[in-house]
Amino acid sequence: MKKILVACGAGIATSTVVCNRVENLLKENGIEAEVIQCKIAEVANRQDDADLIVSTTILPTQYKIPAVIVTAYITGINMEALDQKIIDHLK
Amino acid sequence: MSLYEFIREDLIKVNLTVDNQDQLFETLFIEAYQRGYVKKDYLQKLKEREAVFPTGLSMGEYSVAIPHTDPEFIINPFIAVATLEKPVSFHLMEDKSKQTEVNMILMLGLNEPHSQLKMLQEIMTLIQDKSKIEQLLKAQTPIEVQEILKKNRS
Repeated sequence: MKKILVACGAGIATSTVVCNRVENLLKENGIEAEVIQCKIAEVANRQDDADLIVSTTILPTQYKIPAVIVTAYITGINMEALDQKIIDHLK
Repeated sequence: MSLYEFIREDLIKVNLTVDNQDQLFETLFIEAYQRGYVKKDYLQKLKEREAVFPTGLSMGEYSVAIPHTDPEFIINPFIAVATLEKPVSFHLMEDKSKQTEVNMILMLGLNEPHSQLKMLQEIMTLIQDKSKIEQLLKAQTPIEVQEILKKNRS
């Protein structure tokens, strides 16, 4: 099963909303994946067994796995394009 | 719990005049600290986090900021609301190299990670609602701000 890290700066506010959106997105598209909410600072240590990083905030470093910045989920601008980008990464 | 239940009348600042982001954070911190909402380290941590992971959001025609920091510095959860007389620069959440001029601030004091989804979704809905933000910016008293947010309840 694929594993997705959903991150924001404090791991408390924006990532909570995005976690929910990603979980629904996976359900709607019949994709089975584990969604884990964390602080962006924790991502470096958790990326080894994960497949995708979904972050509402800037990425402080380079990662070995793909990362998508999803601040648009917060501003509501062009969210469908982001949905597609995430799905494409999980295919 | 809904967004409205986190709004504290004593943490609403209307037409606040500040020169910069530091002054804005200090002003809101003093109010929150004196009333026992946050620990002493909150201000420093808030500034540090904003410097590394900024919270400015450009919505196209307007901008808002949602400064917040780690849950361990919060004693009583709250959402502080501030409208600014003149805008203050915030870096963008998704791109630190860009700035946006913000006059609507929602400072989030949340102490439970992985929860409060409903309230957070209401915040996102609110900040995307141009007419609501315009109403908030026009409000002249904390009570008016509360009334506008009360109507936001879903």
